Amino acid sequence: MATVVDSSNPKSNFPIQYRELNYLNCSKGWKSWFFTLDHKRIGIMYLIGVTTSFFLGGLFAMLLRTELLSPSRILMGADSYNQMFTLHGAIMTFLVIIPGVPAAIGNIILPIMLGAKDVAFPRMNLGSFYLWMFGAFFFLAAIVLGGLDTGWTFYTPYSITTSTAVITALMGVFILGFSSIFTGLNFIVTIHTMRPPGMTWFKMPLFLWALYATALIQILATPVLGITGLLLIVERAFHIGIFDPALGGDPVLFQHFFWFYSHPAVYVMILPAMGVVSEVIAVHSRKHIFGYRFIAYSSIAIAAFGFLVWGHHMFVSGQSKVVAVVFSAITFSVSIPSAIKVFNWLTTMYKGSIHFTTAMCYGLSFIFIFTIGGLTGLFLATLATDVHLHDTYFVVAHFHYVMMGSSLVGLFAAVHHWWPKISGRMFNEYWGRIACLGVFMGFNLTFFPQFLLGTRGMPRRYYTYLPEFQNLHILSTMGAYLLGISSTLMVATLIYSIYHGKKAPANPWGGASLEWQCSSPPPGNNFDHPPLAGDPYVMESVVYNEEIGGYVPAECQGDNTGSVTASGDKEV
Amino acid sequence: MNTAATTTTDEHADSHDHEHHDPRLAHHFDSHQQQFDTGKLGIWLFLVTEVLFFSGLFGFYAVYRSLHPEVFLYASQFLDTVLGAANTVVLLFSSLTMAWGVRCAQLGQTRGLLVCLVTTLACAAIFLGVKSFEYTEKAHHGLLWAGMYQSPEHHEADAAAAPAAEHGETAEHAHTAAADHGDESLFEKTKHTLSYMTTVLWVVIVLAGIAFGVFIKKPGKMTLATVAGCVLISAFGMMLGTYASIGYHHFGHAEKPTDEEIQMAETVPAEYAKQKEKVPEPALAGTFFSVYFCMTGLHAIHIIGGMIAISWLIVRTVHGAFTTYYFGAVDFVGLYWHLVDLIWIYLFPLLYLIN
Repeated sequence: MATVVDSSNPKSNFPIQYRELNYLNCSKGWKSWFFTLDHKRIGIMYLIGVTTSFFLGGLFAMLLRTELLSPSRILMGADSYNQMFTLHGAIMTFLVIIPGVPAAIGNIILPIMLGAKDVAFPRMNLGSFYLWMFGAFFFLAAIVLGGLDTGWTFYTPYSITTSTAVITALMGVFILGFSSIFTGLNFIVTIHTMRPPGMTWFKMPLFLWALYATALIQILATPVLGITGLLLIVERAFHIGIFDPALGGDPVLFQHFFWFYSHPAVYVMILPAMGVVSEVIAVHSRKHIFGYRFIAYSSIAIAAFGFLVWGHHMFVSGQSKVVAVVFSAITFSVSIPSAIKVFNWLTTMYKGSIHFTTAMCYGLSFIFIFTIGGLTGLFLATLATDVHLHDTYFVVAHFHYVMMGSSLVGLFAAVHHWWPKISGRMFNEYWGRIACLGVFMGFNLTFFPQFLLGTRGMPRRYYTYLPEFQNLHILSTMGAYLLGISSTLMVATLIYSIYHGKKAPANPWGGASLEWQCSSPPPGNNFDHPPLAGDPYVMESVVYNEEIGGYVPAECQGDNTGSVTASGDKEV
Repeated sequence: MNTAATTTTDEHADSHDHEHHDPRLAHHFDSHQQQFDTGKLGIWLFLVTEVLFFSGLFGFYAVYRSLHPEVFLYASQFLDTVLGAANTVVLLFSSLTMAWGVRCAQLGQTRGLLVCLVTTLACAAIFLGVKSFEYTEKAHHGLLWAGMYQSPEHHEADAAAAPAAEHGETAEHAHTAAADHGDESLFEKTKHTLSYMTTVLWVVIVLAGIAFGVFIKKPGKMTLATVAGCVLISAFGMMLGTYASIGYHHFGHAEKPTDEEIQMAETVPAEYAKQKEKVPEPALAGTFFSVYFCMTGLHAIHIIGGMIAISWLIVRTVHGAFTTYYFGAVDFVGLYWHLVDLIWIYLFPLLYLIN
């Protein structure tokens, strides 16, 4: 463990933010973690849980892709295949992407960005984590109790008649929904009531705007999923005839209810990643973000539009033509705020001093992948082409570009950007960038062939296919393997850094938002008193200090020369 | 010891914030005002999620009623408007006492707060008692959700067949049906089922009463005594609601009915039996009861949640937790209670008053 700075030592005459006692070592024992109310420790526990689920879901994906190497049986039969893709989808959606950036990274970073000691309701925050664990447990139980083969969408009437563990999985979804609601509620209240002096709404870092917009969706959409899941459970258990056509129920009504949540949920996945990229691009380009207000408003606009487009999942479900046209038109308009963000990020980089750090590499990958994912969405929003492309690999490729390629790459960018803050250690940039290149190449190799497959008529969720599709399927599987290896390398690099990494300075990248003002890792209470917040994107307010290996406030540059690093360790 | 508390102690070494020693102020807030505002915004957002949670059911109601208005017209006549109205009054009154309780908390009137909370709890229990009677009666009439629904016309056919053809096949069929129900009438059967519940309630009342009596004497057992008291009040309230409903129903049955009416009233609900011109039964009539049980059931779960929250408030009040500058919890539970009340205000006309 690092040496604790002796307070009598004049060199350690630092404000509390720079003290050596941090949230990781201020108390010990399993109880100090499992009953903690500290948002940072809860965030770490989320991060571990999300990573574990990610590898579980990833393992299913690898098995699926291996099976698809050939149209005939390789590893599993058709029924196992159905269960595999359902569990892959359900785990990745509910356990990884939705809690990924908000619950894991947001929990750690949001209060520090606000200069607050904690989120507004720390107990509810811990409760939300345990609900997540509980929901994950139900998912595992569903795997044990006969699997799940409905697809992650639980469409009726099949989900009423199948013999697999639908009720258990739905209980999991219901509980995870509440976990998500509590996180969102906590974030909105924290942002409203606990901003530090000087931080007006339009001086908040854009990551907070993104989390705010996300939380709005979490609060307004998730309860509808909760009641839908509950009704489906009751339908299966008691046959209430709400969704079951055999009893006069309406299966399309289920689709409406389901997508009323699940389409906004797509923005729960992507918005926080966009917020991360707004931070990463600005900090690593060493330049003030371009079009701050536009990015902030576009987050809210995406959240608002997100509620009005659910019908585009149902263009071929027999809804009325007028409704379909309206949904199509609104879907097109979502591209406006999305494009605003992309253009602003690009303009931020223009004439910036771009540092190709690992986080920036992931940020750039995000922009590239999101652009493709977003533009292919327009093909699907167009009624006529959607009839052709509906339920093909084109859709699979599109939503993987947005949900996996963008949301998860956003999560990777966030983890690398804030890793020094979270762990107090610097990871190896070389291996980090290699992993990033692998993820980027592997991802595109996996999913770009699927666009081609889809346009040629390969339906999604099929166990077998025509022989002429095999080459593209093999390409896709190879990409999946590369993606799997690279993600493992990424996690290995990060874990290695915990034990062998350099001590991180308080501000390794030169960010100007508040989280970079407290030490890495932060002390248990973050800040003794709310710090004064200024513009979070004035990169000139910090300057690089060779000895510390990180950035220090411009006005402190003189004081710290020849002293210890910000974190108190001796320089290597 | 948890991290937050440990670090708080740690920070106290050089903290100048004396307010932090106030146990009523959480360590991460600067002032009581901030703490209160935070909680207030939090509860309002929570209520938003509650409204949206119910919105799925209201959405389903809207879709089905517009598609099948005849189902709602036909089936809602089986709901007992008087019991529904009584429950509405009970809930409205409980909202009044809750609001009054919040006022007492703001003024620091602990005794008044306690009385108000206890009254609210009792009203909630009465509501549940009446609801238990309604559910039991529906169940015995076969008026259940779509999967379990038994047409009342079916009972009626049996009833009509019984006196007409004593020796025919239909009569035998009717007798079999009657044998299934036992010799008791449906109302008697309802009472019989409820008697299990009331027996349990009596046991609970006795046990909770003993516990209350024992613990109230011991100074260290105030929390246990209060919890026992809350259980006592809840059980007593439910008992009251159940017996009141049974009594009301007795009264309804006692208006010197003809034999035919008795026969009808025993097999189908009394109000339906009295009608001269009957609405023909539509297909899917059971869907109405699916809606009815889902909506009122979910509402009842919220009532139970509210009762737990109110009991928690009573325990805290007894311990003197609330002061003129710290009454947030009362306010927030109050808001929740008003929402639960408000949802019932919508449910009552939407389900009971269709005509």
